[in-house]
Amino acid sequence: MRGATHAKWAACAAAVALVATACGGGGDSGGDSGAVLSSSWGDPQNPLEPANTNEVQGGKVLDMIFRSLKKYNPETGEAEDMLAEKIETSDSQNFTITVKDGWTFSNGEKVTAKSFVDAWNYGASLKNNQKNAYFFGYIEGYDKTHPEDGGKQTADTLSGLKVVDDRTFTVKLSQKFSTFPDTLGYPAYAPLPQAFFTDHAGWLSKPIGNGPYAVDSYAKGSQMSLRKWEDYPGDDAAENGGVDLKVYTDNNTAYTDLLAGNLDLVDDVPAAQLKNVKNDLGDRYLNTPAGIIQTLAFPFYDENWNKSGSDKVRTGLSRAIDREQITETIFQKTRTPATDWTSPVLGEDGGFKEGLCGDACDYDPAEAKKLIQEGGGLPGGQVKITYNADTGSHKQWVDAVCNSINNALGNDKACVGNPVGTFADFRSQIGDQKMSGPFRAGWQMDYPLIQNFLQPLYYTNASSNDGKWSNKEFDDLVDEANAETDTAKAVETFQQAEEVLRDNMGAIPLWYQNGSAGYSDRLSNVKLNPFSVPVYNEIKVS
Amino acid sequence: MPEPMPPEPLLSGGGRVPEDGAIAATGMGGAMDLATAEGETLERAPAGPDGTGPTDRPRSLWSDAWRDLRRNPVFILSGLVILFLVFVSLWPSVIASGSPLKCDLAKAQEGSQQGAPFGYDGQGCNVYTRTVYGARTSVTVGVLATLGVALFGSVLGGLAGFFGGVWDSVLSRITDIFFAIPVVLGGLVLLSVVTSNTVWPVIGFMVLLGWPQISRIARGSVITAKQNDYVQAARALGASNSRMLLRHIAPNAVAPVIVVATIALGTYIALEATLSYLGVGLKPPTVSWGIDISAASPYIRNAPHALLWPSGALALTVLAFIMLGDAVRDALDPKLR
Repeated sequence: MRGATHAKWAACAAAVALVATACGGGGDSGGDSGAVLSSSWGDPQNPLEPANTNEVQGGKVLDMIFRSLKKYNPETGEAEDMLAEKIETSDSQNFTITVKDGWTFSNGEKVTAKSFVDAWNYGASLKNNQKNAYFFGYIEGYDKTHPEDGGKQTADTLSGLKVVDDRTFTVKLSQKFSTFPDTLGYPAYAPLPQAFFTDHAGWLSKPIGNGPYAVDSYAKGSQMSLRKWEDYPGDDAAENGGVDLKVYTDNNTAYTDLLAGNLDLVDDVPAAQLKNVKNDLGDRYLNTPAGIIQTLAFPFYDENWNKSGSDKVRTGLSRAIDREQITETIFQKTRTPATDWTSPVLGEDGGFKEGLCGDACDYDPAEAKKLIQEGGGLPGGQVKITYNADTGSHKQWVDAVCNSINNALGNDKACVGNPVGTFADFRSQIGDQKMSGPFRAGWQMDYPLIQNFLQPLYYTNASSNDGKWSNKEFDDLVDEANAETDTAKAVETFQQAEEVLRDNMGAIPLWYQNGSAGYSDRLSNVKLNPFSVPVYNEIKVS
Repeated sequence: MPEPMPPEPLLSGGGRVPEDGAIAATGMGGAMDLATAEGETLERAPAGPDGTGPTDRPRSLWSDAWRDLRRNPVFILSGLVILFLVFVSLWPSVIASGSPLKCDLAKAQEGSQQGAPFGYDGQGCNVYTRTVYGARTSVTVGVLATLGVALFGSVLGGLAGFFGGVWDSVLSRITDIFFAIPVVLGGLVLLSVVTSNTVWPVIGFMVLLGWPQISRIARGSVITAKQNDYVQAARALGASNSRMLLRHIAPNAVAPVIVVATIALGTYIALEATLSYLGVGLKPPTVSWGIDISAASPYIRNAPHALLWPSGALALTVLAFIMLGDAVRDALDPKLR
């Protein structure tokens, strides 16, 4: 549905007026650890298979219903052992992984080495068509289970994965990858119960995991109810009775519901309310740095954006955007103008390098106009920036970016916004390669490594390389960096790759985003992790 | 149901009760002179020998209506507003300098000031300029949609009413079907698949869902008019269908259509704003009040002026057209005299 955001809003408002309690915040008061909180959400793009979820809304749920070998510390983002008792390697290429004893899935089944190996094999197999298959790309045998460019699949399982015993399995990579263990907290690496394979449809309608919450019910377009799993074996058990994730197609509505007491937690404060949020919520407003960068990606499958000179047009567009002004006026400084393609939460040592983008990210209308003219002008004389209208106040900044470009080029119609109604629809259109101009691309890191800001997004055919940008030099540098065991050297090589990205302007960096959230006075101990996702299991409800 | 062709014998028909509650149109006063050719009889109404009027001029429905309207303050007021709107639509730059698409983020949400009496919106666009330019879109869509609906609806309805029979039944059922489609829902479904940036899809949609209303009015009105003696006379004298329709029936059946269309014009303007507000009507960079209201609504707490001015302009415009329609109805409906 193209841009019909307010329609649903109106329908929901009417429903609220009729049945005021229907949107109430859980309702069951009293019991402290049994109380349920409600939180704003959007429908995930795909059914919740761990290896098929590469967007934020589905990832939020996976974080609640799964625990993987590693878990990222909710405060520092550091990868810590969760189900992994130990991960051993002597050469950064062969790993022996031991799974902790005593873990089960919420249906009682034991979590074993096989749970992981089966899950990973499923994710890597071409016939299952999983979006995150690429994450298994370094495991030996991936070229047989997931051949590129229409080749025939010759194996169903990865030859690099071997179950040794109930709690041990080995992983053989096709090349050195020193930070491989740190990536294992990503939900794509989650273990799966046998029920996933034997009763797949049943599992999809009600996923079974091993996390602190279990899915109780899900009505698409309305709500997903998650309840505390009482027998959860981990040490991060839920401190509340559960979470109702309510679908909103407009974050303004969610915010209004929060103020009205119909919702407990909003993890996306609308830009239009940033001026008021401190007044409205006081210290119940969170604004913390997060590993999120917003960019504009380009459809490199469209020859208009992939011909000689179009890198100049892209750089010109980048220079036509007044990031300083937009972050200040539209976002009230809850965003910081981007000067590279990573995020400040990585820290200098982790690979964040302020100013790496250089001139190419500096606002200079005259230079912008010149560059675009040199590059042959805007394709078709106009760029349309496609975005989803239901989350993140994207309309406001897209309009502002367009106005900035229009003012720089002295043409009122050089740039227009092109809204898509919902995030899921927007992702599908991107997946179907239907973009004809720049489109919004935000990246919320999966794990706090510079590799995660570059490889999944810009490596040839990577899982989230939405624009299909491809550059041999970049790919080689990334491979080289991954093989490097010395962290400082690896980071340096990644930054060289980033410079390649800059020189071709594979995507325009816009700004680093803070996580922002507001919550009702029923809640306490609310935190956002470095991924800007609320740490649901620690929230206390009174 | 009216009898279909062939024509009834002269002097038999006449006093049927008007159907559909349509406003009975009288006029073309004067007695019939069977000795002369029918055309002459009906075109040249006899001047004054009946001695009822104080003047020599014949009085028609239209001249009566015009005399009424001139004395109606509602008509004068709404007429002035509409004249102003039309003027602004044709030459917006006369009262608003600068481009409505020129926005300076540094001025976002600022209030009234020199050069921007209505202040700036959330993107730093001049609200005054945008409100002025928005009139053009609204008036264009309203007028064109009304013209389309009136033409399409009255032609279809008029033919169905005149010929009757199976075509009349079929058309009546089709209008029933169209009446059953909720306008906003229909707009969300149909217009959401349109990618065009122009006003035409919106106008086309309004014509598509608006014509049955006019079609019903026109049908009823034609059925009433065709029972009149002078039509029967014309038919007896061998006038062709087209001559009867165009010369005798249309002028006498058009008044209700005009009244309904004028009132509908206001609602079409409101509908365009509604659809644009919902994101399926006009699309930026087209300047429309609906789009501006939608964009400004999240900022209502910090910059209410950006919401209130286009809303006010929209309300005033719709009100003016509805008041005009009201005045025209009062003037054309003899029952209200």
